[in-house]
Amino acid sequence: MKLRVALFKRLRLRESWVIFFILGFVMMNYPFIQIFNKPYRVFSIPLLYLYFVGGWALSIAVIYLFTKAINQPEDEQDEGDHR
Amino acid sequence: MILSIELVVGVSLLYIVLLFGVAYYADRKREEGKSIIANPYVYALSIAVYHTSWTFYGSVGKAATTGLDFLLVYLGPTLMAFTWWFLLRKIVRISKENNITSIADFISSRYGKSQWLGAVITIIAIFGVMPYIALQLKAVSSTFDIICGYPYIQLPLLHKNYPFSLHTNFFAALILSIFSMIFGARRQNSSERRHEGLVAAVAVESVVKLASFLAVGTFITYGIFGGFGDIFSRIDAQGDLLNHLTTLGDPGETTYARWLTTLYLSMGAIMLLPRQFHIMVIENSDENHIKKAMWLLPAYMFLINLFVVPIALGGILHTGGALGADFFVLSLPLQSGHSWLALLAFLGGFSASAGMVMVESVAISTMFVTYLLMPIVVRLTPRPWFPAMLINLKRLCIALVITLGFLYQTVVGETFMLVNMGLISFAAAAQFGPALVGGLYWRRANKVGALTGIILGFILWLYTLLLPSFIMSGRFSRAILDEGPFGIALLKPTELFGLAGFDLWSHSLFWSMLFNVGGYVALSILLPQGDKEREQVRKFVDVFTSDRNGVPWETKRMSKPVTIMQFVNLMSKFIGEKQANTAIAEYMGNREITAQGGVSEFELPKLKRFTEKTLAGSVGAAAAGAIVESYLSDLGSRMEPVYDIFSTVQASLAESREALYVRLKASELINRTLDLQIIMDDLLALILKEFKLDLAVIRLIDEKGVLRVRSYRGKGIAAIIGKDWDPESETYIGEAFTANRIQFVNDTQYITKPLSRDLMAREGIKSFAHIPIARKGEHPLGILSVFSKNIVGLFNEPFLDLLESLAGQLAQAVKIVTEMEAREREREEKERILLENARVLKEMEIAKQIQLSLLPSSPPVIQKIEIAGRCKPATHVGGDYYDFFLHGANNIDMVIADVSGHSVGAALIMAETRSVLRAQARSDKTAGAILATLNELLHDDLSAAELFITMFYVRYDTDRCVLAYANAGHNPPLIFREGQRACVELDAEGLILGVKRDVQFEEKIISLRQGDVVLLYTDGITEAQNPSGEFFGTGRLCDILTQSHSRPAEAIIETILAEVESFSATSVINDDISMVVFKVFPSRQLMSQNQSAAKPFGVQ
Repeated sequence: MKLRVALFKRLRLRESWVIFFILGFVMMNYPFIQIFNKPYRVFSIPLLYLYFVGGWALSIAVIYLFTKAINQPEDEQDEGDHR
Repeated sequence: MILSIELVVGVSLLYIVLLFGVAYYADRKREEGKSIIANPYVYALSIAVYHTSWTFYGSVGKAATTGLDFLLVYLGPTLMAFTWWFLLRKIVRISKENNITSIADFISSRYGKSQWLGAVITIIAIFGVMPYIALQLKAVSSTFDIICGYPYIQLPLLHKNYPFSLHTNFFAALILSIFSMIFGARRQNSSERRHEGLVAAVAVESVVKLASFLAVGTFITYGIFGGFGDIFSRIDAQGDLLNHLTTLGDPGETTYARWLTTLYLSMGAIMLLPRQFHIMVIENSDENHIKKAMWLLPAYMFLINLFVVPIALGGILHTGGALGADFFVLSLPLQSGHSWLALLAFLGGFSASAGMVMVESVAISTMFVTYLLMPIVVRLTPRPWFPAMLINLKRLCIALVITLGFLYQTVVGETFMLVNMGLISFAAAAQFGPALVGGLYWRRANKVGALTGIILGFILWLYTLLLPSFIMSGRFSRAILDEGPFGIALLKPTELFGLAGFDLWSHSLFWSMLFNVGGYVALSILLPQGDKEREQVRKFVDVFTSDRNGVPWETKRMSKPVTIMQFVNLMSKFIGEKQANTAIAEYMGNREITAQGGVSEFELPKLKRFTEKTLAGSVGAAAAGAIVESYLSDLGSRMEPVYDIFSTVQASLAESREALYVRLKASELINRTLDLQIIMDDLLALILKEFKLDLAVIRLIDEKGVLRVRSYRGKGIAAIIGKDWDPESETYIGEAFTANRIQFVNDTQYITKPLSRDLMAREGIKSFAHIPIARKGEHPLGILSVFSKNIVGLFNEPFLDLLESLAGQLAQAVKIVTEMEAREREREEKERILLENARVLKEMEIAKQIQLSLLPSSPPVIQKIEIAGRCKPATHVGGDYYDFFLHGANNIDMVIADVSGHSVGAALIMAETRSVLRAQARSDKTAGAILATLNELLHDDLSAAELFITMFYVRYDTDRCVLAYANAGHNPPLIFREGQRACVELDAEGLILGVKRDVQFEEKIISLRQGDVVLLYTDGITEAQNPSGEFFGTGRLCDILTQSHSRPAEAIIETILAEVESFSATSVINDDISMVVFKVFPSRQLMSQNQSAAKPFGVQ
């Protein structure tokens, strides 16, 4: 519970959003995708395809967490969400 | 297996009717105030209009040919969603607050509501989006052809035009036009920016898109094949194809650069495409919906793409190649005999096309009307039919946009162009990016920069992307592409300035963005912003702090006041009378309205802005600004900057440094001295020195209620400083004083009071203000007036606030000083009175001494009788008098008199009486004759002084023991006769002295015996009162005389005095008291001769 509150507090910061945005951008581009750009199969599914689909699902989950954090009541909020 | 045309058309029409129904229902609900689209799910679904038929069909095609890059079109928006809570919410907030109608309106508004910028963006949008609309129409007709089984089905479908498809195209365009016109421009006379019916229809379409695609995907993956694994392993068996499709970087295929480019373009597209902006920003009903849409939209895109790869690979497996992969979604169900599924897929594709075309055409037509048509409309005089004309213009534009798309598709209709048109559109929209995002966060960004950047970007886009695309589709000669224009290799559209080795997209994006951003940044830094721009910057960059932003007061003023009605009239010409009245009523709410039915000068700019904002909702920001401006100038008014009295920048809510300094200085000089004149003089000098004023005057109200000039500084204007005002009169000063409210005129040209107008015109005064000198909540003590001969619009809110506070401080000082002066005066007055009293007292004391000395200092000593007399004045001097005169050795005269009153006048008359009496008493006249003479002599003086005298005159012959007496209205003396037990009164007829000139006084004689006591007294004794109001009376006096007759005369007097004092229970006596007692020493020879004269009196 404490962890959740602490996490949400951080997620409300504008900085967190920017970091995730940049992280996403980096992870979707050269050279990072070079890591997954290989003709391997995972359970017969191509690695790069799996990486993108998995990463996509993950980022949706992260955004979901972010929006939950915004919805937290103000009293838990001491650093402000739009500074 | 194919479907009959009738069935397809029938189902399609049913579907369209359903959409109509939904849209109509949503609009009806909206009118009832129960919006069905105001929820985050509908909002997220409507944003999915992003998913057009280009991707509905094309994603599969891409996946089958180039591989994973189809994902980027969706990954970009997902990445963008991370920024929405800040970026999109900010855009939405700004758009709501400024009634923004489109992306062109948004960017144009940010850069000073530039008509030019809006027009350029509109043109780019039309250029960039028209082919995209063409693509949608084409997709509808192509899929229609496929599903109805035209023989061309086996041919590459998009490669050629067919006569039949013209019809399907045409009908598709027609139906979509009608739909868009009905729901995109619904209300005749509304300034409503939002189209709820349209949004509802789009949301339904998004559901259909998703459902149909999932259905097809599930069918292919699990119906035809055995799931994901099955498809992947089967394709693996076909060799290297899968590796080729699921990796990047092969030469000639998707490079990393292209990957980045596509990602970037799609990131921009989700925000910048006119329809996306429209649906996300303009149609947003609550910014909180963004929260849900942020993850719902990516989730939607994730779901709809889940089956793209299986369908693509399945299609390859099923058909043996990637040919016609664009329509696998449709062809696979058809070929496997599931025509209903194919029909569903067709409806999904149709939904994707229809949604895009409708929203795009509405968005573009809005821009078209506001930025290409309004500049012309604005020049016309507003007419009552304007609202109708505007809505019809918009309808016309919607039809026009779709028609243009239709024509484009018919004329061009080429392969390369169409399949890549989506991305080409993205690249065009990307040109808006720098100006839009920069405008949100970069204050310095200016109009020229934005305009230059966008135009440069657009030109580069035309040259490096659109032109090569045309050429590649075979429209023009390849010469330019291969050798450069005029053979200049450096200018080759695909290798501009020798930049080779990039794919078409990355190359174009690089150059267009370089020029776009470069021009934007460079010119923004080099050139300054205009006035209007600066105002808009605050509204955009500081939108989240707008309530608390910068300067809380107006920096502009209207040169000539405009009434509310005039604004309403203007609005009703564009949005209809009813809407205008509703809008103004909502706005005015509980705002203060002046007596003349206007609003205060400081409220006017707000009202003007409100009018602009309201108009902006239907004609766009730039046109609204122009309309209001031209209307104002028709009325002879315009906005002009408020004179910046405080030259330092007011960076925060706090006051400027000058204002603080002046305040401080003022309180310093007010506290330095208690001399009001010095305070006033110094204060005026300070005001005059700090601000550009020509004259400052202080008037204070005096005891007579006149505002009198007490101090002035500056160029004296006799007509002003020489005038003391009556506060009731019909002047600004009078009004300021009586209403206790600041009166100011920022431009004397428009003054309403004739008296003041003439004066100001004569003296050349441009602006002035009268500030009541008053403490908070108290009546004013005077008026501080300031005048300027040079500056119009000098008095803004902060300046007036400052002056008011100075006047307040001055009021405090005036109050303190006047209170102090009043106290001082009071003290002096008291002192003076005390002194005066003391002086009078002293004189009265002297008078008393003199008067007392006029009375006999001691009774005469005479044989056989004993005499005593006493006078006790009530005040210092009195009107009582007694005296004794001796005639020879045997006769003595005794007199007692009472002058009415016991004032100084009475005392003087008493003195006069004494002199006259003394002269008369020397003669041998009888008592009666003496009184008669006295009366005659004193009559005139007494009449003049309005005084009277009562007097009793007695003459006693000691030898004969005979008492002769006469009375002039005096209390009859008491006589106690030895041997008797009661007193008798001596009385004789006679009028009071001073009433009549000729009076006869009766004279009586009584003989006394030894032991008799005679008491002559004044009415001070008998009329002495006790606290209960009872008189002392003759009875009591008689008793005292009876009891104390045997005592010496002096003792009798003492006894009577003591009794009177104890009776009245106070030592203060109200009237003078005088007594004369004389006793006849015992001798038996003396006999009464005339006893009848004495009547018996008193208690026996």
